[in-house]
Parts: sequence; structure tokens; C-alpha cells
Amino acid sequence: MNLRKTTFCFCNLFITMAIGITVWAQGPFVSGVVLDIDGIPLPGVSVIEKGKNTGAITDLDGAFYFQVASRESTIVFSFIGMETQEVLVEDQKIFKITMSERATLMDEIIVVGYGTQKRSTISGAVSVVTSDEIEKLPSLRVEQALQGRTAGVLVSQNSGSPGAELTVRVRGAGTINNSDPLYVVDGIPVDGLDFLNPNEIESMSVLKDASAAAIYGARAANGVVLITTKTGKKNQKPQLEYNGYFGSQKAWKKLNLLSAREYAILDNEGRIAAGLATRPEFKNPESLGEGTDWQDELFVTAPMQSHQISLTGGGEKSRYAMSGSYFNQDGIVGGAKANFERKTFRVNMVNDLSSKLEISTKIGYTNFNRDALTENNEFNTPIVRTLNIDPVTPVKFEDGNYAYSPYVETDIVNPINAIANTNSTWTSNRLLGGFTAKYEIINGLTFKTNLGLDLTFSSDDGFTPEYGTYSNDVPANERNDLSSVFKENHQWVKFLFENTLAYDFEIAEYNHFNIMIGNTVQDLDYTTHGTTGTDLLINDVNYAYLSLAQDEADGSWGEREQESWLSYFGRVNYEYRDKYLLSAVVRMDGSSKFGADNRWGIFPSLSLGWVLSQEEFLKESNLFSFMKLRASWGQNGNDRIPPYGFLAGVNPGYNYTFGDIETTNFGVVPIELSNSELKWETVTQTNIGLDIGVWRDRLMVSVDLYNKTTSDMLVKNVIPDVVGVQGPFINAGDVKNTGVELSLEYRKKEGRLNYNIGGNIALNKNEVISLGDSDEPILSGGIQFANGFISRTEVGHPVASFYGFQTDGLYQNWTEVEQGIQDKAAPGDIRFKDLNEDGVIDDDDKTYIGNPTPDMIYSVSGGASFEGFDLNIFVQGTKGNDLFKGYTRYDFNNVNQPVSRLNRWTGEGSTDIEPRVVYGDPNENARISDRFVEDGSYLRIKNIQLGYTVPQKIFGNGVISNLRLYVSANNLWTFTKYSGLDPEIGTRDDLEIGIDRGFYPPSRSFLGGINLTF
Amino acid sequence: MNKVKFLLLPLILIGIISCGDDFLDKRPVSSITEDSFYLTQEDALLAINAAYDVLQWELNPEWFDNGAGHFRWFWGDVMSDDSRKGGSGDNDFPALGELEKFEGGADNEMLSAEWEADYVGIYRANKVLEEVPDIEMDEFLKRRILAEARFIRAWFYFQLVNYFGDVPLITKTLSLSESYEVTRTPAEQVWDQIETDLKEAASNLPSKSEYSLSEIGRVTSGAANALLLKTFVFRQKWSDAFSTGELVIGSGEYFLESDYLGMFSLNGENGGGSVFEIQYQANSLGDWDFQRDGSFSNVFQRARGEFGGYGFNIPTQDFVDEFEEGDPRLPATVFSEGDQMGDRGIFTKDATGYPHDFYARKFFSNQTETASDGDPNVNGQTNDRAIRYADVLLLTAEAAFHIGNEGVAKNYVNQVRERARGGNNAVLANITASGNGLLEAIYHERRVELGLEGHRFLDLIRTQRAADELQGEGFNPSVHYLFPIPQAQIALSGGNLTQNPGY
Repeated sequence: MNLRKTTFCFCNLFITMAIGITVWAQGPFVSGVVLDIDGIPLPGVSVIEKGKNTGAITDLDGAFYFQVASRESTIVFSFIGMETQEVLVEDQKIFKITMSERATLMDEIIVVGYGTQKRSTISGAVSVVTSDEIEKLPSLRVEQALQGRTAGVLVSQNSGSPGAELTVRVRGAGTINNSDPLYVVDGIPVDGLDFLNPNEIESMSVLKDASAAAIYGARAANGVVLITTKTGKKNQKPQLEYNGYFGSQKAWKKLNLLSAREYAILDNEGRIAAGLATRPEFKNPESLGEGTDWQDELFVTAPMQSHQISLTGGGEKSRYAMSGSYFNQDGIVGGAKANFERKTFRVNMVNDLSSKLEISTKIGYTNFNRDALTENNEFNTPIVRTLNIDPVTPVKFEDGNYAYSPYVETDIVNPINAIANTNSTWTSNRLLGGFTAKYEIINGLTFKTNLGLDLTFSSDDGFTPEYGTYSNDVPANERNDLSSVFKENHQWVKFLFENTLAYDFEIAEYNHFNIMIGNTVQDLDYTTHGTTGTDLLINDVNYAYLSLAQDEADGSWGEREQESWLSYFGRVNYEYRDKYLLSAVVRMDGSSKFGADNRWGIFPSLSLGWVLSQEEFLKESNLFSFMKLRASWGQNGNDRIPPYGFLAGVNPGYNYTFGDIETTNFGVVPIELSNSELKWETVTQTNIGLDIGVWRDRLMVSVDLYNKTTSDMLVKNVIPDVVGVQGPFINAGDVKNTGVELSLEYRKKEGRLNYNIGGNIALNKNEVISLGDSDEPILSGGIQFANGFISRTEVGHPVASFYGFQTDGLYQNWTEVEQGIQDKAAPGDIRFKDLNEDGVIDDDDKTYIGNPTPDMIYSVSGGASFEGFDLNIFVQGTKGNDLFKGYTRYDFNNVNQPVSRLNRWTGEGSTDIEPRVVYGDPNENARISDRFVEDGSYLRIKNIQLGYTVPQKIFGNGVISNLRLYVSANNLWTFTKYSGLDPEIGTRDDLEIGIDRGFYPPSRSFLGGINLTF
Repeated sequence: MNKVKFLLLPLILIGIISCGDDFLDKRPVSSITEDSFYLTQEDALLAINAAYDVLQWELNPEWFDNGAGHFRWFWGDVMSDDSRKGGSGDNDFPALGELEKFEGGADNEMLSAEWEADYVGIYRANKVLEEVPDIEMDEFLKRRILAEARFIRAWFYFQLVNYFGDVPLITKTLSLSESYEVTRTPAEQVWDQIETDLKEAASNLPSKSEYSLSEIGRVTSGAANALLLKTFVFRQKWSDAFSTGELVIGSGEYFLESDYLGMFSLNGENGGGSVFEIQYQANSLGDWDFQRDGSFSNVFQRARGEFGGYGFNIPTQDFVDEFEEGDPRLPATVFSEGDQMGDRGIFTKDATGYPHDFYARKFFSNQTETASDGDPNVNGQTNDRAIRYADVLLLTAEAAFHIGNEGVAKNYVNQVRERARGGNNAVLANITASGNGLLEAIYHERRVELGLEGHRFLDLIRTQRAADELQGEGFNPSVHYLFPIPQAQIALSGGNLTQNPGY
């Protein structure tokens, strides 16, 4: 019923817009000019008649002209960053309006958990990213819009492939388990943000300390990101906007690898050193020339485009925003085989059914397809194959078939062939939305109920054609004898029902209370099923359907998982004279993931604030316009562990083969002890912060100090092998993060030049305090070329630090070798340090050789506008993190290598760095050592954008009210000492950070775009 | 009035949901918990199959998975003087290389992989022995399943006691707290348990011919007796060994197949000479984890380069020289340069990219036999011929020799030689020696007949010949008759487990 009314309302607005505004206005014409306090004209000010849709926007001279309904009309002047003014028309026809900068940014209303709050009265640590900032940086994923925008939030790429996940860490990795923050979109907790179009976002609040996040209790341990999507504003003229861009992406860096000639020289040398005969075809290396540059073959110029149409507006009783978008991006590796395509639709409606009752609906639908190549491993990714295949082999043989290398091991297949025969698509359809009703029962007492739905239907489709079967000589890894198709469907159905009751009141004078209680019920039902088929009737990806598979031998599978949460929460906010602030929160969470005895957890928090600028001694200060001291303490939980850990399970799949016709006979057995005591991880965090506004808030400074300790961390209990099953998860570990965050922002307007510069820095120290009773270190990050683990998580060290041998130069001659303790060594081999001085080099000589977590992350952004031109620049970087270069397959003799290998040891005194070339590597020069650890610090010019807003005069009073054209460059320049393809390497799993296994690098892209408002 | 109503509604809504603690009771619906398992005959079969599963665990490298299992050929061949590790170089499974040179310390991951897999197998057998007796089911089948479990338990203790000596003897499933308390049991007691289990198994298991075709691969009374024979031989209980060997030989269940080479082809699996074979098949879809049903051995032992293998288990010249002139078993066991490697091409050093002169043949499979889908590397389907009839004959011959029955000893050895001869009387003349010469002949026969099948190392250990034969490999007789107990396990036990001397 409401819906129909709304629809009708929409139609009206469209008509209004189409016919034009003047038709409806009947009263006098008004005109005038809007100036700032310095007397300089303000263009772009919205001038509208209150309660109507009529109005204008000031031109470059600050002038406006339109017809109002009557002399009783009120005109509203509003402009971002300026105090909104209302003027009654009466007899006046010509207006001269002076707008002043908004008294303080601190009056801004920002979104916090279950409500909004004036920035000045928040006593927790909350950072906000606004739509202005998001729109400045055209980005595919929401996490990219978050990168560098808030102090203490580390966003890193897991892959540069279009649509790939990013890692987000709020104040460091809080646990050895899942450290992702909780994302809440319009009140609904969601997993992942791949479905969300950044342009739909009005604001993002990052709740960093325990007090801000406490209201999300058991799921808030790693911070909370609250995302609010756009709706129109009251009495906002309908605004139809188009935003779009086209762009082109390229690899920004190529590695210098050996040419065919150089490859042959080193191959000969390596064979001679090992006592092998050289290859006859490499007798004359010069004749081989440059050979194939596989990187040129791999990296392509890839297009991208984005289009979005939105309509926003509002009347006295309803506000709305509707939008649709289309995004399409190819990858710089794989082109269309790494394509990401996303379509989104959104309708957000708010209706005031009466002065007491507000009903709102926000619904977003997303469809995306992501074609993906294998990524981020050293075995079978296009990148690692490209970097390792020899330059002598061509891409194709003369007969047109894909070539394969006779030199490198068969793991290293022709990457171009592999890409051509990879067909893997993840398709997702997601509907996220909810209905909210808000009723003000008596003045200040508001009841809100929210029904949310999050539906995701995804499918994973794969097809491997039959290929390479033209000859029996084609090696197994370069061919596929039987076509196969794979399909797996997933379905997530999540419901949320939430009720809050809030009372906002004052006792006596100046004692302002806001009390809220509420509860939430959430339910998740996940099902999946999949099946495969082989031997397709038509060997073509366009016909890759199970109905055409002639053999379904490999059967099908399926699974279901259910989870539920039930929570109660309450909050008291108290302010005295806007000067003394207190906020106390308690949340009680029940989760189905834990056994009956440990199902409930209570998460309290308390924060205090003191607005010093409200005190007499600062009130008159010309320097400080604002100053607030904040302190908070609280606890949050992390329940992101696999469900059912408290039950003793038995596991299928431990099968054996019997029969004259070999047949799988199923076997079932427990493989793990259960732990009925399992409970949440708890984070206890203390935060002290200071917010300062200087020079009428032109300069804003925020500093936060925190100490965040995760306890009861889930660790796999290592038990004696004699039990015959694995140990259970137990709550035993502790991890501590301490840090400082600083953010600064300066805005100034000088004449027609507006500029701002801002930045933030965060220092974080991560340390493992305990790993359970045994404190057994956890090894992770296993790598093939050295047959061992790179990362080690141990008490007293940061999570997943690099662990290996220390090198000590090279043996220069036989005397040195004989004096040494490495019996396999020869001159030119690496000398490893015998750290425990026991006369042998073994595992006991390994030590910490690097820390992949940055000591510091920072960003700087600046913007300036002048006479319609605007320029924005955004720089971001890390300092003090190490990377492990793991993409060269040193376990193979014949792989291609960086040109730095040309500086190898060739005789006494030639070098002390690059070891000799030798087949078989008898000295194990390629063992895990500091040889492969490099400084991963970088500074990256993430984005530069130059825009021009076409003066309104050009369009007269026509349909177009604003037109901005821009060009933008992403990843334009990167300063780093790291010698791999890109230093911005995230995590592969929770305990693998900063290992470069042939990482899909982010691209450098150039975009040209348009923002058009009707 | 209206306002009261609106105040009540939220209170009801906020309060109402407190009723629902049931709402938080979510149990798995697509997986099973222990309280709903071990109830039916079907469950009993599933439980025993899971115990068999551990038999086929090969090498799951520690950095890849949790690291448990072994290649029998690694312990039997690479550790001995018959073959070298191979691979792409010293960096390729360095832990294996260290052990081979008797440089492996207590932190060697191959040792912990062996230890862990053995105890997982023992746990699964114990679980069957604990849970299945209470299941209401066909009594005959129940007896068989319990006997199968006993065989499997004995099998894993046989590995443990040989490699580590005194090991914890666990005959029931342990709780977490018990697990920290266990101590090492004297090896003799472990051996006694092995004997008890195998006797029990042998008397309750069906013979090979009593199983239906679809059950081929399950342990038989013959397999239990053969392992018992081996146990007696290892304990040098010669007359028990002889009588047990005679039981197997006299059962009429086994014979020497005429085609020696053919025994190691796919068609030769579970043939007339097969007493106990660990089963693999080629449809594992390429899973690299424990749950695969395919073997890694094929790809591991195949030459690198054009042959696409990993080039492990490289036969030594010493091993090749052991074969008598014209012994047809040599080309059936070892590929030499110039040999046709099935349909994968001719063996040249150039084609392999490595300077090795020989490659192991018994795990060779043709390209055409590769599973059509899944990762071919882990989809090997060659069964591991763990106990062959020829092995039984030679062990019984050895027992006969030791109880003074040289005639029977010669007869059994010569049966094996006759089959190997393949009708060509110009080679492999009958053994006529006696005394020590006969014993040497039996040892020789074992080395060539069972070459690269994973027997040599323990043969050298049990006969104390390792000191001589493996001297050049770094074998120190005062230390290396046993391997070190994995250090991590000693640490976890809080010192309840002790280390072997010399480590």
C-alpha cells in the first residue's frame, strides 16, 4: 500500500523534472547573489523554496534567479561546509546572502552503532569516510575506498586481479584466526563487500576502539565498518545524475629477466659446475638472441568502464534514492579471462507516514561475474609460469600449436596455453535489504524495528576443454585428454530482526541522556551442492553444460550449515553541557557456534569524554576552536570459527579401494578431539584520544593511543601423536596490538582557491603473548622451492614473521670452504651463519629474518579547486614491512631468473652477494634465508585526478545543472626498493602475510570520466 | 491509551525473544556426530575401511598437510644400498636426503610423519575394536572386521617397533589427559602384542579365495600368517617362523606366477602371488590430501624431464651388479639407458635432464594408463605389493635353514629362481650350496627377487648386516639400528618419552 503511494510519488517527481520547474511556480521572481564572508561569490549553492521542488543553483558569479510560489515562501540556501540559511521572501526581490563556514565540523552527525551522534559528543574512536571522499577516487570495491582514508586501517591487495578480495585490518591482526572486521550495511551484518557499489555509499564509519564497537559485541573484536547507503534529503530537488568513466590499465612494472642468450650462458655454467655436459643447442648462446619475452606475452592492456545513474530527492514526507550501475573490467593478466562484471540496482525510500512514524526501505541487488585465473601460488599461476619459463621456448611452434619448454620442469607450463584453456567463473546474485519502522511514542522516546534480509545465490563454473591432444609428445601438464565441466551452487539465506527502544531526554538543565535498549535475532542457512561431468559432446566453453557431459563419473556433493545469534544490548549516553561525556554499553550475545554452557557472552564498555573547548579557559581561545579528550575501555568478541567445534564429529572421506574392479569403499572416522568448552575470543581494548580543532577548525588533529589484547584466542591444541587424532581447538592464546594513530586535516579558502590537505599515520606493534599450554610455535607459509615454512608465529614475536637462515656472504675460495662447516659447499656458495655455534648448520640456526607487518602505514591526500578546476591527489604507503620473494622456482634447475643473477659469483672476489650457478644446488643456497627477504616499504601515488566543472552559463537554465569532466590516474607512481612486481602484497590466509608467490600485480590505469547532474 | 499500546509493543518485541534458547541449538545436519555413529553394520564397515585408509598414506609433506605417512620404497630401498633418493637435487625433500645419509635428527619430518601415521592407523584399529563389538550385526562379519582391525594394528606396530624400538603400546583409544602420560613399552612386549593380534587375525579372517571379487584387497588369513611369519623371522623364532610359513605355502591359495615382469603391471595386481597388497586406484580427482585414493609412487619414481616424473628412488650400481648375468629380473626392476620406458619414450639422460644411469621400474605406468581426469601426479594406481608369495617362500627358506632343514630351504629358493628363469635354463642355475653359502644365496635371492619393493633395509637391519653393507652410507652400528623418537613428541610428553641412545 505504501509502496504504491511511493511509486506514484516517484512518477510525480519524474514528471516534475521533465516538464520543468517554472510551470509549477506561480509567485514572484527572486534573484540575488550569494557570497562568502570575504565577499567572494559562491557558485554551486543550492537555492530552493522550502517545501517545494523549485529552486536554482548559483552560477559562477554566485547569482541565482527563479520563481517562488508566493511572498510567504521561504528560501533555503545550502552549500557543503557552509551554514544553511533560511530567508522569508516577503516583499524582497533581490537578495544578497552571505554564507559563513559551518561553525564546526564537529557538529556533523555521524553514524555510530545503532544510531547517530554529533561528532563532538563521541567519546569512542570512530573514523568516518564520506561520499565526497569515495567519489573522488573511482574504485571498484568498497575496501579500496577505505584504503588510506582512516588512520589505523590497513587495506592491502590479495591480488590485482579484477574483483579480488582485499584484506582489511583495523589496528593490526588481532588474532591468528580470522581478523577481518565486521561489516554492517544499513544495519545488516554482512560477510564481504564484493557486492557493494562504492558510489551507493553515503558514509562509512570505522569503529576502532572497544567502546565504539561494543554494541556489536561478539563479532566486533576486529573493528566494525558501518556503511550507510544514500538516500535523498528532505525537500531536495530531484537530482538525476550520471557518473561514468572509461579507462585503460597496464602493468606498471616488468621484471628484468634473463634473455635467451643469458639464460643459455647460465645454463651452461650451471651444468659445468655440476659436472654435466652442456646442451649442444646452447653451444653458441649469442645465436639465441633475446628470445621470448614472456612478460610481454602475458601482460595486456585491459579496458575498464563504469556507468552509474542515480536519482535522488525528497519532499516534505518522503526521500528517495534510486540507482543502477554497470561496471566491467578486464585483467592485465588474462584479459577477458580475468574479467569482472558487476551490475547493481538500488532503491532506498524513506516515508513519513505521520509526524511520528517513519517507514524506510532500502534494497540493493547485485549481480556479478568474476572470471578468475589461478592466483597466488608458486605452482600453477600464469604469473609464476611466466617468470619461470625459459626465454628460449617460443609461445607457439611454427605449426601454430602452443609450444612447451624442453628445459624447465613440467610444472612450468606455457602460461599462454594455460590461460587460453582456463574457464572459471564465479557468479553471484545478491539481494540485501530491509524494512525499518521508527515510531516516536512520546517526545524523545523512539521505537525502531528493522527486518533485514540478505540472500546470496552464487555459482562456481569451470570448464576444461580437451586440448593439446594432437600429438602424444605433448607433456601431460600441457594437455587435457578429456574435457570436463564443474558446477557448484551456493546459497546463503540470512535474516535479521532487530528492535530498539531509545529515549532521549534531559534531567534538570544540561543533563542530557540518551538511553537505548534492543535486541537482535539473526539466522543463517547455507547450502551448497556441486557436480562434475566429463567428456563433453561439444568441446567449447559456450556449450559447457552438464547436459552435454557424456560421463558423470565423479558424482556430486552437497552440504548445509546453519548458524544463529540472539543478542540483547543497551547503551547509556550522558552529556553535561556538551562538556562532559559518558557512554556505557553492554551487549549479551548468544551464538549457536558454541555448546550450551558457553553459548552466552557479555561484552561491556565504558568511555568518557571531556570537551575542553567548552571550558571557560579555552572558550575565548583564538587558536583552539575545539578540543576533546577521550578515554575508553571495553571488551569485544570474535566468534569467527568453524561451527560445531564443540561436538565430537566423525568424518567421511577416509576411503579405501577394494575389488577386482577398483571401487572406492567409504570410510568414516573421527579425526579430531572435540572441545565442549569452546567459547569466543575476547578482545580487551583501552583507548585514549585527543581531538583538536585549530583556527576555527581549519586544522583538525586527532590522536589515538590504544592497547588491544586478544585473549582466549582459539588455537589448535597440539597433542601427542599417540592419540591418533588431532587436538581440538582450545581458547588459549593471546595477541597484543599497541599503537598510535594520528590524523590531520587542513582546509583553507583563499580567494577563489579552495584547498585542503590531510593525512594520517598509524604505528602498530603486534606481538603474540601466548599460544596455549605448550606455546608450540605455529608454522605457516610453506613454500615449494625450499621445501619448508617461511612464516612462524611464536610467543614474543609478531604474527607470521619470517623465519629462516642468515647468510654471511659467499665462500670465495677452497680454503674458506674447508675452514667452514658446510660440507656440500664449493667456492661461490652461500655461507650460512651457525647461530648456535655447534659446528653444524641445521634448523637450530634459523632465526627471525623479517616481519611482514608494517611498523607504520600512512597516507596523504590533498585537493584544490580554482575557477571550476579541481585537482586531487592521494598518496599512500607503508614503512617497515618485509616481503619474501618466493616466485622463482629455485627447486628447479632450468627456470628463468632475474638479471641480477648475471652478477653471480664467477671467481674469487667477483661478488659476495649472488652465489654461483650450479645444477642441483648442492649447498642449498635456495634454503629459506634472508637472501629472499626484502624491504617491502612503499610510497604510492594511488590516484591523481584533475577535473573541470563546466560553467553553468553554458547550459543556461536548461536540463543540465552540473557537468564535470575529469581524468584520473591510478597507481601512477610507486616508490619502493622491492624488486618484485609489486610491493602491495596482502595475506593469503590468516597466517601468511607478505609472501610473494607470483602475485597478480595491481595495474596502472588511466581513466577519463564525466559527472553529469540534471 | 494509544501511547500505552505503542509502548507495550516494543517491550513485547524486545522481551519475547528471550524464550528462544532452542533457537541457538544448531546441530550439524549434513555431517555426522559420534553419538549417531557406530550403531549399524554399515557403520562397522565404514569404521574398518577408515582404518585401511591409513595403509595407503604415503608422503604428505609437512609443509603441505599435517605430514603423515610413508613410501614403503623409501624406507626399504632408499635407506638401503639399493637406491638413492634422487629428485631434482638435495633441496628436493632434504629431510629424506638427511635420513638416507643417517644424518636425520630427532626433528626430521619423515620420522614424525612415520610416527604419526602409525599411531593414526593404530587409533582407527583400536576404535573398531572398541566400538564394533557392541554393534548388533551379522556375527560372521563382525568377527572378520575385528580380525581385520587386529591385522591393521599389528601392521603399524610392526613399522613402529622396527624403526623406533621401544614405543608406547596403545591398545585402546586415549583421552587427552592420558595421552601426555604414556611411556615407552619395551620392544619385546610390542612384538608380543603383534604376535597375539596376528594369531587372532589369522584364525578369524577368511582366506583369499573365500572373499568375493568385490572384496579383493581385504586382509586374509594368509596375509595375517605371512606377517606373522615375518614377525617370527624378525624375532629369529625360527621354528615358529617355519611352521607359520608352511601354513601359508600349504594353504594352496598362492602360487608363483610365470610372468615376473607382468606381476608389476596393472593386470598383475592382486594376482596368484599376491599375499598382501596395498590398494590404489586412479580416480582420486587429484586431491593432494589424505583423502586421495591414488598413489604418488608412480610419479615419484618416474624420470624427470620428458617423462614428467619426479625422478626419485634411483637404483645404485651396487644393486644392479647384484643381479646374476642374464637374470631377466634386472630389466624388470631397473630401467637402463636406451630402454624403452613404456609409451613414454626411450630413456636417455638428455631426455631425463639428469645424469642418473638407472630408474626404478616396478612402479612404472604408461601414459595411456593415466586417469583421464584429475591431477595425474597423485592419481597413480599401482598397488604396493607389500607381501608376495616369493617373499613368503624366501622367509620360510631362511627359517628352514636356521632349523637345519637345508633341503627345504634350497627347494624354496630354487622355486623362486625357476620362475625367474622363465624357461631359459642358461641362467639362474639352481642353488646347490649349503651352510653359510646357502644363507648367502637366500639373502642374495631376496635382494634381487624383491628388489625395489621396500624390503632391503629392514632385511639388513634384522640380520645385523647393515653394519657392513651400509658402512659407506654413514651407518653407525652403535646408533643407527634405531631411529630417534620425534623430538616434538618427547617435548609434548613432558619427558615421559625418552630418546634412543646416540641421538
